Amino acid sequence: MRGRYLGSTITVAIAAAAVGAVISASITQTSGQAQSARPAAVGGKPNFSGIWQANNEANWDLQAHAARPAAVTQQGVYPYDFARVPAAPVLALGAAGAVPGSLGVVQGDGEIPYKPEALAMRKENAEHWIDRDPELKCYLPGIPRAMYLPHPFQITQSTNKIHIAYAFSNTARTIHLDKVDGPPDDTWMGHSVGRWDGDTLVVDVTNFNDRTWFDRAGNYHSDALHLVERFTFRSPDVIWYEVTIEDPKVFTRPWRIAMPIYRRAEPNMQLLEFRCNEFVEEFMYGNLRKQPLVRHWEGDTMTVDITRKVPPGDLFYQWYGR
Amino acid sequence: MRDRLSSSMLTVAIAAAAAGALVSVPVTRASAQAPAASVTPPAPALTTPWGEPDLQGIWTDETDTPLQRSPRYATQEFFTEVQRAELDNERSALLRRDRRVERGTELDVAGAYNALFMTQKRTGARTSMIVDPANGRIPPLTPEAQKMAGADREFRLALLQATETCRSKSVACSGGKYDPTPSPRIAELPPRYNTARMNRHDGPEDGSLPDRCLTGGLPEFGAATGSFRRIVQTPGGISIFYDVGQGQGWQRNIVMDGRPHLPANVRQWYGDSRGHWEGNTLVIDVTNFSSKTDFQGSRDNLHLVERWTRTRPTSLEYVVTIEDPAVWTKAWTVRQEFGKQSDQENRLYYEPRCIEGNYGLPGLMRGARTEELAFAEGRGPHPATKDNATDFVGVEDDPLQ
Repeated sequence: MRGRYLGSTITVAIAAAAVGAVISASITQTSGQAQSARPAAVGGKPNFSGIWQANNEANWDLQAHAARPAAVTQQGVYPYDFARVPAAPVLALGAAGAVPGSLGVVQGDGEIPYKPEALAMRKENAEHWIDRDPELKCYLPGIPRAMYLPHPFQITQSTNKIHIAYAFSNTARTIHLDKVDGPPDDTWMGHSVGRWDGDTLVVDVTNFNDRTWFDRAGNYHSDALHLVERFTFRSPDVIWYEVTIEDPKVFTRPWRIAMPIYRRAEPNMQLLEFRCNEFVEEFMYGNLRKQPLVRHWEGDTMTVDITRKVPPGDLFYQWYGR
Repeated sequence: MRDRLSSSMLTVAIAAAAAGALVSVPVTRASAQAPAASVTPPAPALTTPWGEPDLQGIWTDETDTPLQRSPRYATQEFFTEVQRAELDNERSALLRRDRRVERGTELDVAGAYNALFMTQKRTGARTSMIVDPANGRIPPLTPEAQKMAGADREFRLALLQATETCRSKSVACSGGKYDPTPSPRIAELPPRYNTARMNRHDGPEDGSLPDRCLTGGLPEFGAATGSFRRIVQTPGGISIFYDVGQGQGWQRNIVMDGRPHLPANVRQWYGDSRGHWEGNTLVIDVTNFSSKTDFQGSRDNLHLVERWTRTRPTSLEYVVTIEDPAVWTKAWTVRQEFGKQSDQENRLYYEPRCIEGNYGLPGLMRGARTEELAFAEGRGPHPATKDNATDFVGVEDDPLQ
């Protein structure tokens, strides 16, 4: 059951909500000192402990896509789909609001095998991205999305449990390598049970709810989602991460994504908080303020005016305008 | 006013109510903790396969001990067995009770939670968690801290003054007085960044941190809605996940390589934890707290030194020294003993899904806007005459507290 504010029609939103994804860390080859002290194995198994981050465009769209002007676009001068321009929520951000292109991470033919009615829902999701994407509300990201959000995560690997702490929204999951009872209810982050297949960590993830998405393009699943993840070292600082995705309510067959995940090798790397539920309070509840901060709330609809003003001191602009 | 722990425990409940899963966790070990808990037996060194002290597992305090010692126990550090049995007897009578005040009053419906929602555990061995100072009480506040606390309390009482709560002299109005005219202070900012429930809901910032799904963090001494921590270790690394506040779980990744604390301008809700081993004890130094956190009046200047020791296979001793010279006249120390919980049962609610089901916070704001509109149209009373902050009346007073 969704909350009142979830069903609200927010036509456009604060630009800041749409940003954030395009910044990903630059990964260097230099291995930090902290890493050198870490043994290569724990209990005879490859040691995945450390801080990691994907460095790709999967969170924008799992599938191959060309770069586009913005996550939210509107018709431009021409009536063509290929000539759309940024819409108000991200207009003021210039190139920082644009979506980078990608060859995609979906294996095989690159298609996600949606059932016809599910494909229609996926398209609708994409059209209502700001209203519907759980990431914008700082909701728990689910698996596999937590693995390729543009935020780092930390693996703490023991012999019976592997704990993963994600910077985004205090999210965590424990991969159980020992015997464990199932959860009492469906979950956002799933119930993860792991085993070793040689040097590959294989994790079976079940007990999902239907609230999380795969990306910002509206790719989604139902509560029948079942994942099999495979973690394999490519090199000491690169994990090859593969997921088989199965959901008979939404897809016609299982499909797979795969990507490298890189070690954050900075010697002083540390997982910092990204407690975004505070950041999205205006986005979520601004319409309920006594004195609105955003000027154009009409009922539950937020309308944002974009003002672009060149500040005094922008020397390049002054030079250019001469 | 109640102390910070119990009031935050109760407000958490509101915010997280819609998250649904109030996981009640039965304590697996039948209690009867050894009365001589202060005598730590020489522990067999429990170590991980790679040779570090092994603190791993799910841990919780299996008994109830008040943070501060009741003055009636004066210098008595431990309960006698007779006292514990009497307290358990009295307290068990409160289980599942639904305390009500006068039917049809605001205060009666304000109690969103009753004893059914609360974990009630057996009385612990100690008369207080505080072991230093010797009187088991938080040291006196500094004059500046007293002034700040007073100003904050005055502001909150002003917002309540025109309500039934003050008219009926409820404990929630203690220190305040009833005045049918709403205080002009309802238009003011609080004296400092707000962290607690107030009788005003102009925007999210008027909500308490738990109502906003921003529950503070450290130090974490537990609450009646449960408090669990899962420790997972790897060579040279330790991760602790806290299951607290009905889905306001959070995590610590202890930095163990001896590097200095974060730069002073990097502040975190859960601070910055730097750990090292002293023999079998994990010592963690915690600083860099955010100015938006509040522990008994201490904010960004809070400094903790924690000591975690596995004293028995099923016991983990936790000792924390709490320091903020701007707030307390001296440092003070709390001691707790955690019992190990079943790894297989995994009775731990590790999803911090509070905001996902937070109907409470927007509901409070929506209600306030509705009341304002009704008043403006002459259909309702002045909103400031309604109490939308007090929420604990459904819970019995625990004689232990």
